[in-house]
Amino acid sequence: MVRRVLALPSGRIAVAVLAVIALLAVFGPWLAPQDPLATSGNTLGAASGSHWLGTDYLGRDVLSRLLDGSRVSVLGSLEVALTALVVGVIPGILSVYLGRAFEWITLRLTDTLVALPFLLFAVAVVALLGNGITQAMLVTGVLVSPLFYRVSRAATLAVARSPYVEAALISGASLGWVVRRHVWVKVLPPIAVALAQTVGVGFVIVSSLTFLGIGVQPPAPTWGGLLASDLGYLSQRPWAPLTPALLIVVTVWACNLLADAIRDVSGEAGRALLNSRKARANQIDEAGPAPAGGAS
Amino acid sequence: MTTDITAAGRTRHALGRVLATLARSVAVFVPVFLLATFVTFALRSLSGLSPARIQLGEDATPEAIARVEAQWGLNRPFLVQYADWFDGVLHGQLGTSWANGADISTLIGLGLGVSLSVATFALLIGVVVGFALGTVAALRRTTWVDRAITGFVTAISVMPAFVVGIVLVAVLAVGLKLFPSAGYVPAEQGVGPWLAHITLPAVALSFDVVADVARQLRSGLVAAYRENYVTGALVRGLSPRRIFFGHVLRNGLGPALATLGLKFPSLVGASVVTEWIFGLQGFGRFANDSAQAGDVPAVQGVLVVSIVLVVVFNLFVNLVLARVTPASQRGV
Repeated sequence: MVRRVLALPSGRIAVAVLAVIALLAVFGPWLAPQDPLATSGNTLGAASGSHWLGTDYLGRDVLSRLLDGSRVSVLGSLEVALTALVVGVIPGILSVYLGRAFEWITLRLTDTLVALPFLLFAVAVVALLGNGITQAMLVTGVLVSPLFYRVSRAATLAVARSPYVEAALISGASLGWVVRRHVWVKVLPPIAVALAQTVGVGFVIVSSLTFLGIGVQPPAPTWGGLLASDLGYLSQRPWAPLTPALLIVVTVWACNLLADAIRDVSGEAGRALLNSRKARANQIDEAGPAPAGGAS
Repeated sequence: MTTDITAAGRTRHALGRVLATLARSVAVFVPVFLLATFVTFALRSLSGLSPARIQLGEDATPEAIARVEAQWGLNRPFLVQYADWFDGVLHGQLGTSWANGADISTLIGLGLGVSLSVATFALLIGVVVGFALGTVAALRRTTWVDRAITGFVTAISVMPAFVVGIVLVAVLAVGLKLFPSAGYVPAEQGVGPWLAHITLPAVALSFDVVADVARQLRSGLVAAYRENYVTGALVRGLSPRRIFFGHVLRNGLGPALATLGLKFPSLVGASVVTEWIFGLQGFGRFANDSAQAGDVPAVQGVLVVSIVLVVVFNLFVNLVLARVTPASQRGV
């Protein structure tokens, strides 16, 4: 699947952009030309040879702060996506097999999670349960897990009813073997799509939380925090939010591009099962054409 | 055969459908509401925060803390507290703030006007612009117009509300001075100033809605145009206008409307950030301030109100959905 994604131009662009962002996250703190926390008398300075992106209201080098802050954002969004993956996919697949009670309970739980405005809830939970980006992202991961639950459930449902899986079960194959051998292959592409999307969503949430100053201690630089500190000095430096804003937008865009590329190469099944809404629409179609012209 | 259906019969049928939808939605939402409020209430026990720390400071004696907690009824069993609080919620009483003893329902009511003005305006922009873009893209599908709209929609869908908000403030408010950069004026003091203050935050919030509505509507309409009944209508010689409004729109609208219901929670959530940027003393700002101050009852109140808003809005969307697209009644 990786090779087929890379065969698409959009897939190559997405992977390249995300690779650059990942490298920034890994090596950013060492690449920073100056100490991101060191203040100087040169406040709100314009871009110059020594400060490529200028300085902020305390005279700190903006480029260094951007590079140093990249790690928090990237790690945070990955944590959101992986938490959501684990919390969503396992009950999503099991809900098809473990009987009606389990199915009903997990469906109600996802209904509840979807009804919670997750940014509001993340702010509340993080602020009340103690500071720390790790807890924040774990909670957020649980809140966005319904996407994975639905995607994996819809894909599993479609496979579970297929003749070859029934044949395997009737011929005495164990449930675990069927899941590993047949279900997993069909369920993986839509989950990969959801994962790429969720990394993007997680990125927006990390940026929003750090923008509000939640989950990090003040002097530590983050992309959201940079935007927040620029906001107060827009009249002096109106172009200052441009770089962190562009970085956030480009990263989210690359995640969506990657999700689209995976969807395109994973064929009809992956596309049709992407979300439950589409799956449901297909069911309606299969239920037969709508009675037209007063047939009732 | 349709001739024997009288107008009265049709009305009764429609009413029954509305009631059926309402009953089904309520059956789904009651467990959701119970569970969500329980999680919300459990936050206090989980957080270990106490009004004593806010009122007495860090170095209070254990006796003083116990006294204050008894005053707030926090020494009772958890389930008794929950029942008491839930009873209050059902009567619209969200308790009193730990920080200043004010009535939380009143405080939230004050902020809600601001937030609902902005959210409604954002939804309005999202629906109007999203429907226009989605419809035009579907009518001119596979032409350059369609590709241009799809590209534009993709571009705005990756811009988070707070990034858009900051750029709007920088360009339109600080740079060109077309709009006030912060603050709020109630509609009673003049519709002009009110609109001027809520336009930028509403536009910032609306990007996401515009993108999703346009995308869902485009794919819904394009799928509807491929159906056999459209070919049939074409063969029967119906005008393109009648085919669009009578056949395509009603059948292709479902996903876009359903998206609108899903978008509402994120609109409420994003208000936390946009109200911070635009200096609005709304619901989201209140949530953020109370959360950072550790004012647990206020946060619980905010969450309950947001859940109620989401549930009511989804109920409304489901009703419209049931009215507009009868097919949505089957698969559910």
